[in-house]
Amino acid sequence: MPDTILVVVEQREGKLNRVSWETLTAGQSIAAETGWTLEAAVVGNSVSSFAGEIAAKKVTKVYAVESPKLEPYTPDGFAAALKQFLESRQPKLVLMPHTYQVRDFVPKVATAMGRTAVSDCVGYKKDGSKLLFTRQMFQGKLAADVSFACDAPWFVTLQNGAFRGDKVEAGASAAPVETVKVEIADGVIRNKPQEVFKEAKQAVDLTQAEIIVSVGRGIKEQKNIELAKELAEALGGELAASRPICDSGWLPMDRQIGSSGQTVAPKLYLALGISGAIQHIVGMKGSRTIIAINKDSEAPIFEIADYAVVGNLFDIVPPLIEEVKKAKAGS
Amino acid sequence: MLIFRKPLENIDRPQMPADVVIVGGGPAGMACALRLSQLIDQHNSQHPDAQLSKENIYVLEKAREIGQHCLSGALLDPRSMRELLPGFEKEAPLDAEVSKESVYFLTRKGKFKFPITPPPLRDHGNYVISLNRFVKWLGSKVEAAGITVFTGFAGSELLFDGDRVTGVRTDDKGVDKQNQPKSNFEPGYDLHAKVVILAEGTRGSLTKRLITKFDLAKDRNPQTYGQGIKELWEVPAGRIAAGEVIYTMGWPLTTKEYGGAWIYGGKDNIVSLGFVVGLDYPDPRLDPQHVLQDFKQHPLVAKLLEGGKMIRYGAKSLPYGGWWAIPPVAGNGWMVLGDSAGFLNSQRLKGIHLAIKSGMLAAEAAFDALKNDDSSARALSGFQKRVESSWIKDELWKVRNFHQGFEHGLWTGMFHAGIQQFTGGRGLRNRYPGTAGHQHMQKLAELPADGGAEAHLLGPAKGDGKLTFDKLTDLYHSGTKHEEDQPAHLIIHDTNICNTRCVKEFGSPCQNFCPANVYEMVDDAEQPNGKRISLNSSNCVHCKTCDIADPYQIISWVPPEGGGGPNYDGM
Repeated sequence: MPDTILVVVEQREGKLNRVSWETLTAGQSIAAETGWTLEAAVVGNSVSSFAGEIAAKKVTKVYAVESPKLEPYTPDGFAAALKQFLESRQPKLVLMPHTYQVRDFVPKVATAMGRTAVSDCVGYKKDGSKLLFTRQMFQGKLAADVSFACDAPWFVTLQNGAFRGDKVEAGASAAPVETVKVEIADGVIRNKPQEVFKEAKQAVDLTQAEIIVSVGRGIKEQKNIELAKELAEALGGELAASRPICDSGWLPMDRQIGSSGQTVAPKLYLALGISGAIQHIVGMKGSRTIIAINKDSEAPIFEIADYAVVGNLFDIVPPLIEEVKKAKAGS
Repeated sequence: MLIFRKPLENIDRPQMPADVVIVGGGPAGMACALRLSQLIDQHNSQHPDAQLSKENIYVLEKAREIGQHCLSGALLDPRSMRELLPGFEKEAPLDAEVSKESVYFLTRKGKFKFPITPPPLRDHGNYVISLNRFVKWLGSKVEAAGITVFTGFAGSELLFDGDRVTGVRTDDKGVDKQNQPKSNFEPGYDLHAKVVILAEGTRGSLTKRLITKFDLAKDRNPQTYGQGIKELWEVPAGRIAAGEVIYTMGWPLTTKEYGGAWIYGGKDNIVSLGFVVGLDYPDPRLDPQHVLQDFKQHPLVAKLLEGGKMIRYGAKSLPYGGWWAIPPVAGNGWMVLGDSAGFLNSQRLKGIHLAIKSGMLAAEAAFDALKNDDSSARALSGFQKRVESSWIKDELWKVRNFHQGFEHGLWTGMFHAGIQQFTGGRGLRNRYPGTAGHQHMQKLAELPADGGAEAHLLGPAKGDGKLTFDKLTDLYHSGTKHEEDQPAHLIIHDTNICNTRCVKEFGSPCQNFCPANVYEMVDDAEQPNGKRISLNSSNCVHCKTCDIADPYQIISWVPPEGGGGPNYDGM
């Protein structure tokens, strides 16, 4: 019987991850060169609909590896399910996409089975009877071809974009789907998943703000940021800062304006206690109207300000907030 | 709370075997790589049955691109390049051959021109170059020869086995401010090399550790340093010819500080100008960036620059100590080149040609080591011997006492320099002793409160935005960028000294000698003096001045995450 390549496709929260098609393309390509059998598996709770989708492609067989305990995803659950399944099937090579989820559970499965995982590969080569996988080193400066010295199954994860998902071949007829129920004993799953964390692309998009109230070192203490925040809220604007403020952790980095932060051009830019070093200026000089409040009359910010207010921001900002509120209430 | 960079512990690191690892892709490191490649090619064509491979020879360069951390005046003495690549002038990026030189002694408003150019400053036959462009070109030769240059990778640790250097660890990438791995964490590589060659430039961080570990500075003069601050200007046509060279001494410095300025005319109305201040000045309030701003206001300079535009800024330290300060340059598994070793002629203000030559000689020793599979201290001592029988020693021997002569001011310095000129460098004795520069720094209590004759050099420069610039504006023009979320790479071994002693005794000179506003004393009511040290590490231009000049010697500069740093295009 020829050796088997098993592609584990990824589903998350009821959706098939498109990168799975890339992995399947890689599997088809390796199968064509080696003459090995290509099979696929999808892991989760009631995943046979995915299995059907996969079965339309050129694969010999598709497994739906199922257990109610696999919903929601946990590394313990997936590792246990895959280990059970792989031990019964004994594939030679296990291919997976190098996703966050795979990165989470693959080291665990491989270690539990006493095997090695070769991660984040960008290609493969067949060198005689040897199968080599290519990994990048030194940030892509070097490509290392590695092969497995351990027994099968060999775990390989593939870098996103290394193979073309749109090149996946359809099968002549639908491949058979077999549902495999795995038993996960109580106590195996120790993880208690919380809501999935989605990193916001950018929590705040300052480039879209029409009014920005920006604070610099003149704000003195972290608690005084509240004052600027109040002004920003009164004006209906966003709060931003110069580098020292974000560097001290008083505001998150995504609110930093300047050469190492955002470049903005709002209708109104209110600079509170910002001296106006060129590193800051380059990030906001395109603003339509710039109002600067600073104690130091020689602060360079005044060179580009349309309105220069020389004075202590703690004297000026509180009455300004009151006036803004009054004006808004009146309108 | 400041958290400092250090390689993460208890993690698995990728291990890689190597034949030769060269740390630093400047003129010394690149010349070394290229010479080694030539020797291997030659060998391979003569010995088809005993081929040597170049595949495992690596150059580590912390800059994102080759040459981006290279800064110098620069004038190139072509001697070593003619040996390395005969006919190099035809293809290397050279601005102009030096056609005219003049030397001035400046007073505040006036100038006195030396009637003849002193012989060491005669530069006919040398070339005005941009070291950045020159090294880019040299690096392309190295890559074309089949040697891999890892840009964006710094050497962060040396690997040892007893008294043998066995390799280099590269920097950990993706570590946050708290020294914790981020989601993009990539551990540094352990490169296990037969030969490790340190070509890190002045005050290399690995070289420093090597010198400490093996006590290599023993019986040597302490290394002394200068700090060069440079601005590149584009000026209206006709102000200065390409290939014209001007040196000045005197103002704005007083007789207590060592230093001087250069002005080089480059191609396309580009002027390189800068000021080197010896890092052995007495007043901790002195600010070398301020010195350059003062210098530009002298009528000689202001006239030249008027209507022009400053296009780039940078700073770098350079080793002045000369022959007696050079440590042993080879040992068990290691060699040290260029500015890291101190191969610089402080009388001629030139080191590039010596760096290149030292790289070539080290390549010969490395080649022998590879051929004989022996990189023991005995085998690599071939480099030491080659240096001592080469023109490197001839040149440095003649000026072996030059900088020491100036330790007690300009006038005694001129006196000693004069005698040395006529005694083959000997002067009044064969070896003048030296003192580490930071030991010359005086406490505020010993100095006039108003600064006395030095008053104009002290504290931050204001800048008019046209001819003169404050430090942050200058810094902006260095193009410096670092990943912000990483631990501080300026390791202060005891910040209590900063907050309790230094602020009182010396007035926190780090704020003045750092040309990039990295060091800042911020208000902190909880500190006894109301001030606390804070670091703007991402401003750092990698000049190493803090490591050198701090009076308590508690700062260690280590490389930040590779790829960060200045962007010295055209410098």
